[in-house]
Amino acid sequence: MVNAQLDKIIDKYVGKEGVLIQLLLDIQRELNWIPKEAVTRINERLGIPVSDIYRVASFYTALSLKPRGKYLVRVCAGTACYVRGGQRVLDAAEQAIGIKTGETSSDLKFSLETVNCLGCCALGPVVEINGKYFGTATPKQMKQIIERKRSA
Amino acid sequence: MEQKNKEVTITVDGQQVKVPEGTTILNVARQLGIDIPTLCYHAEVSPFGACRLCSVEVTKHGRTKIVTSCNYPAEEGLVVVTNSDKVSKVRRGVLSLLMARCPKSVKLKNLGKLYGIDEHGLWESNPDEDCILCGLCVRVCKELVRVSAINFARRGVEREVTAPYHRFSDDCIGCGACALVCPTGSKKIRIHTYATVAPLKGVRDENFGVHIDVFSAKPENGTDNLINALLTSGFKNNLFDTAIFTKRGDGYSGEVKVAQNTGEIANEKETPLLRIKMISTLQEAIDQGKRKIAFIGLPCQVRAARKIQQTLQQEMPDLDITTIGLFCRNSFNPKKLREQIKSILNIDIDKAERTQICDNKFIVTVDSQDFSCDIDRLDSAIENGCSYCNDFVANFADVAIGTIGSGHSYYTVIVRTDKGAALLEKLQLTKTPVMKADIVKLSEFKKNRAKANIDPILREIHAQRSKEKKVN
Ligand code: SF4
Ligand code: FES
Repeated sequence: MVNAQLDKIIDKYVGKEGVLIQLLLDIQRELNWIPKEAVTRINERLGIPVSDIYRVASFYTALSLKPRGKYLVRVCAGTACYVRGGQRVLDAAEQAIGIKTGETSSDLKFSLETVNCLGCCALGPVVEINGKYFGTATPKQMKQIIERKRSA
Repeated sequence: MEQKNKEVTITVDGQQVKVPEGTTILNVARQLGIDIPTLCYHAEVSPFGACRLCSVEVTKHGRTKIVTSCNYPAEEGLVVVTNSDKVSKVRRGVLSLLMARCPKSVKLKNLGKLYGIDEHGLWESNPDEDCILCGLCVRVCKELVRVSAINFARRGVEREVTAPYHRFSDDCIGCGACALVCPTGSKKIRIHTYATVAPLKGVRDENFGVHIDVFSAKPENGTDNLINALLTSGFKNNLFDTAIFTKRGDGYSGEVKVAQNTGEIANEKETPLLRIKMISTLQEAIDQGKRKIAFIGLPCQVRAARKIQQTLQQEMPDLDITTIGLFCRNSFNPKKLREQIKSILNIDIDKAERTQICDNKFIVTVDSQDFSCDIDRLDSAIENGCSYCNDFVANFADVAIGTIGSGHSYYTVIVRTDKGAALLEKLQLTKTPVMKADIVKLSEFKKNRAKANIDPILREIHAQRSKEKKVN
């Protein structure tokens, strides 16, 4: 099953050079992570060494070697957000989801990460969930957002 | 891009020279006998500029800057200074950081002494860190050995060199080149690769390895395949409950099989002359709780299995891997072999019933008809890495088996360990002496081929070492 899905993505890149990052992004989008089968399959089909695929997949934060939750909650830990209370927002997120930063909830609903800057420091503390930004976030709001997403 | 034949004039420490454009400053300096310290440089692989120790000062259009000489190309009118105060200061800075990262490295300490660095003045870091992330091992494994078993992973302070997933490598052939070139003698990359494996106990014969017995044999009980007979007998006598081996898949391909009983090993086609990834299968079997495992593989794979057994010994004292090694001149890259066989013999190897190497001939049987060509003609189809391997007779196996050295329907058997002897003891065999000369010939051939490839790597290392000795 997964292999057929993977092959369909890989098919687009057969015979082309310098495609690894794009290919991995496609797989990430489709499966929400880069499973080992994908790494093995790319190696078999495109002849790219497993160690090269692993290097790239482990380098970019956009790519995940562990399953990611449906909602990727990213709390900014950059300087500006930090001094405006980003850490407390992060603590609230950990508490509300019930996981530590860097983890994924067992129901695969949430993953929690920090980022170093989301590029809108004036709005800090900033939280980003699946491409949606929440400015001047408070711990209380954080909890509410998580609850909303949980029952969504 | 770079014009090869154009000559440019550059000045290094006051000496003017003409060199081909694009020659690195480091190489120009070396030609002039000027010493520039390096850590991540090796003449046989592409420069990387990771360690920054080779920093020098260059002036171009009246502007002066610090660059890494190992990857900075010579251009017209460039003025280079390799020994200014500023250069020393930069190198001292670089070295202090590297020494702080790898506090135990003797090589760094010696270099530090040269630059007057007090190692006690450095801040604390991980006392066991021994890798400066110069990536020399990565480049050697990728560019020379061409198996890319190891690579960088992750980023920032977490950046490291490792085999994928921190698991035992499927691709490492245990050539040891990475360990040879490592400037700090790091132990880290060796955990999941097979660059170093503790030798078997016993006296080592140059061509036959450590062994307690060598003979030609065939099973008495009717089967004509000795390996199947050994597996069957091993299962029956409870020497193992799982067997991992490679068999022909569709066309000319190979696949790894895991068998739990004798029924599952019968009726398999012969093993193709291909190196199929087996180590992750072995590791998965161990993860699933299997402890008594028979592993049948090529010399490099057996070496890996031995290393895994040695590494996990503490953690899993009951892990018991019986290794059966197959003689191997080299394996082939399936794609290249397919093309070569097509062009030389004009046959489709995917249709082959059987492939074998005999008397320096590669023999393919299609529709019960034999086609053959000289093995040397297939050199361009040799699998990556094989020409760096010097192990013909599976030196790390409990038992090594091959057809070289024995007559028709007989197998050459080299018993290396007591475990191997116990496995063979249970089997009724007809034995005759081995034609040793045939084995010696191939064993030497393989060793010489590997040596020819490793020698250039060593030459550079020796040159650097002798330079260091002179200095210290
Ligand atoms: S031992 Fe050889 S094949 Fe294995 S990682 Fe080192 S250089 Fe690569
Ligand atoms: S030798 Fe030039 S940067 Fe390491």
